[in-house]
Amino acid sequence: MSSETQKILTTDGIPLEESLKKAEKKNKIKAFLLVAPLLLFILITYVFPIGDMLFRSVDDRMVTNMLPKTFKAMEKWDGKEMPPEKVFEAFYLDYKILVEEKRHGKLSTQLNYEKNGFKSILKKLARKQKKFEEGNYKEQIMAVHKRWANVEYWRAIKRRAPEYTYSKYLKGIDMFKNEDGKIVQVPEDRRIHKILWMRTLEVALFVTIFCFLMGYPIAHLLATLPMKYSNLLMICVLLPFWTSLLVRTASWMILLQQQGVVNDFFVLIGLVTDDNRPEMMYNKTGTYVAMTQILLPFMVLPLYSVMKTISPSLMRAGKSLGGTPFVAFWKVYFPLTIPGIGAGCLLVFILAIGYYITPALVGGASGTLISNQIAFHMKSTLDWSFASAMGLMLLTGVLVVYWIYNKLVGIDNIKLG
Amino acid sequence: MNKLSKLLLVLSFALSITSSAFAVVVASWGGAYTESQKLGYGDPTAEKLGVPIDWVDYSGGLSEIKAQKEAGAIVWDIIDVYAMDTINGCDEGLFVEFDFDKDFPPAPDGTPASEDFFTSMPSKCAVGNILYSWNYAYNSENIKGTPKTIKDFFNTKKFPGKRAIYKGALTNLEIALAADGIKPKKGGAKIYEALQTEKGIQRAMDKIKKLCTDPNGGCVFWSAGAQPPELLMSGEVVMATGWNGRFFNATVGEGAPIVQVWDGQGLDYEYFVLVKGGPNEADAKKALAEMTSTEGLAGSAKYIAYAPWRKSSIKIMEAGEPWYKDGKTDMVPHMPTNPRNTKNYFLVDPVFWADNGTEIGEKWEAMKAGL
Repeated sequence: MSSETQKILTTDGIPLEESLKKAEKKNKIKAFLLVAPLLLFILITYVFPIGDMLFRSVDDRMVTNMLPKTFKAMEKWDGKEMPPEKVFEAFYLDYKILVEEKRHGKLSTQLNYEKNGFKSILKKLARKQKKFEEGNYKEQIMAVHKRWANVEYWRAIKRRAPEYTYSKYLKGIDMFKNEDGKIVQVPEDRRIHKILWMRTLEVALFVTIFCFLMGYPIAHLLATLPMKYSNLLMICVLLPFWTSLLVRTASWMILLQQQGVVNDFFVLIGLVTDDNRPEMMYNKTGTYVAMTQILLPFMVLPLYSVMKTISPSLMRAGKSLGGTPFVAFWKVYFPLTIPGIGAGCLLVFILAIGYYITPALVGGASGTLISNQIAFHMKSTLDWSFASAMGLMLLTGVLVVYWIYNKLVGIDNIKLG
Repeated sequence: MNKLSKLLLVLSFALSITSSAFAVVVASWGGAYTESQKLGYGDPTAEKLGVPIDWVDYSGGLSEIKAQKEAGAIVWDIIDVYAMDTINGCDEGLFVEFDFDKDFPPAPDGTPASEDFFTSMPSKCAVGNILYSWNYAYNSENIKGTPKTIKDFFNTKKFPGKRAIYKGALTNLEIALAADGIKPKKGGAKIYEALQTEKGIQRAMDKIKKLCTDPNGGCVFWSAGAQPPELLMSGEVVMATGWNGRFFNATVGEGAPIVQVWDGQGLDYEYFVLVKGGPNEADAKKALAEMTSTEGLAGSAKYIAYAPWRKSSIKIMEAGEPWYKDGKTDMVPHMPTNPRNTKNYFLVDPVFWADNGTEIGEKWEAMKAGL
């Protein structure tokens, strides 16, 4: 054990190793304290509120607690035919308390999310139930409105029984859990969310591709031109970047509409006849053109910053080693720009997938994207749990793209500048 | 809500309060509309009561006030909302319920408030502010002949060309049925009866679909109120549905050759609601009564072509013509409630839309996706 006795000691007799550890620990605490305000800030302003919002998408305790007797009575009901008298009685008793406490409005909002048409019949019931006689509640409730005699509405109530639910996520892909507990699609004329998801993906994907195809040569030009010209070109790229989004969208509308500047020009040079002007606005074409132009700087800037660092001598070397210009470009230059492509594409894609003002204004019939639907449920219906469920699905989508990118290219390879 | 995030929301809202603590804060839609409210009844009321009234802009919906409430830091006293929002907000317990005749002053001739207003309120929390119209208009320089009825809007043989319609289902289903033979007459009760059934909704959707897929027709969907007059002016469409105040502005304000058609119009309303537990609830209540008085409501019609809710306000306007701020335009003929404009109209039914809005919205989007 000679090594132990030979342990190096500091001047005050503590082994050096321990002393170092102590000093390091102090440094670590200091470092942590330095970042603590930021960490706290992120936790408070970002993690907690978002977590709270996301929790709403599965939390359904409010309805569970509002109708305790009803859900207990419903346990034995299989949901096939009209529920028995016991369920009606329990529902009447639960609802009576809610009306007395003036909480019945909230219940009607919640149930109306589950099935449209609840609002008015619950309000009617709130007025009528005051005059109810004891016994035979089934008949009395069914007499209030014919929808109370529709088993669909009672199934909808039963679906809200569990405290935690993933039904909002099912709804986000046009599915629901039916009375047999099977997950099935909603009726065909209401399958809208799938269409919106696909449309959102399609728009984001194509805008990214167009941005890449147009941004790459621009960035290359920017990086290779002499300073004098490239500065001017840079301003041309940045100028729209600094202009309001709405102004740019409106300008495209003026340019591209059927009676717009571009069409007028086409007619003038005889490319098309006056009564046969092509439609370039209020459809997908308009969306792609406007969004590509708006998001183009997000592609050009990362590409430019990467290309700027590539030495021109590399291409020359490639050519002098016998490669055609194309081979030199493809084998030497292009691989070096991949970090910039990754950054640009990810940026554009993520921005495009959450876009909605531009498609709403220029997209015509196909202008509604999933983010419009989220905003609709946030602002109009106040169904925040559904909105947050769709929000999480969108976030997951983005993370999947990020993950795929990481697998294919590697996230360490990303370069913003 | 989580305590920590609550605290945070409180902080962020506390920071966002820019108005002085004792002012009454009214949230409204901004632009020319808020201007008309401020000049028409906001400023006079503030002067009379000695309480400043601050106007803030918002973009509609209840999400902001709901967030303020959940955070326990309400900064708005009065909000200008749609009918559907008064119902939903009242159900959620966000707004104060009124004792209508006690809380609002009678007309100058003594008629109680509840009878002076055009119709009853959709919820106990609402007090009417203006009535506006979803009608349609055309550019007289771009069209051969004169469209006169709601059927003409769908008549692509007689009036070929694209139409601009609202992006959502609201009022589109109603005009579709009105043009398909269900006469709205006074109020459009028959239309909403038909829309209660799947068949009725399908019938309306088919009518719209036919118009939009017609090679002689076609649809442009508008989302902002400024779009319909613009689309008409640029010649992009031959007819457009829209809000009458916007068309009025284009015609009278800017001299555009836009003509409004009132047949089959949808009367819709704006309301004020009083926020429960707002920062200055007592003063706000007084200010609200003053603003929605006969003179108050008539005042805003000086600046914009939306009709005051009170019948007695119209009388003041008639006596004071030309009422418009330019001093030469008579305002009463431009009111959506004018007898000449209400021969065949429907009242947009907020209860129907609060009940069925989401499901019909889904069907509407599915229909649009198939265009």
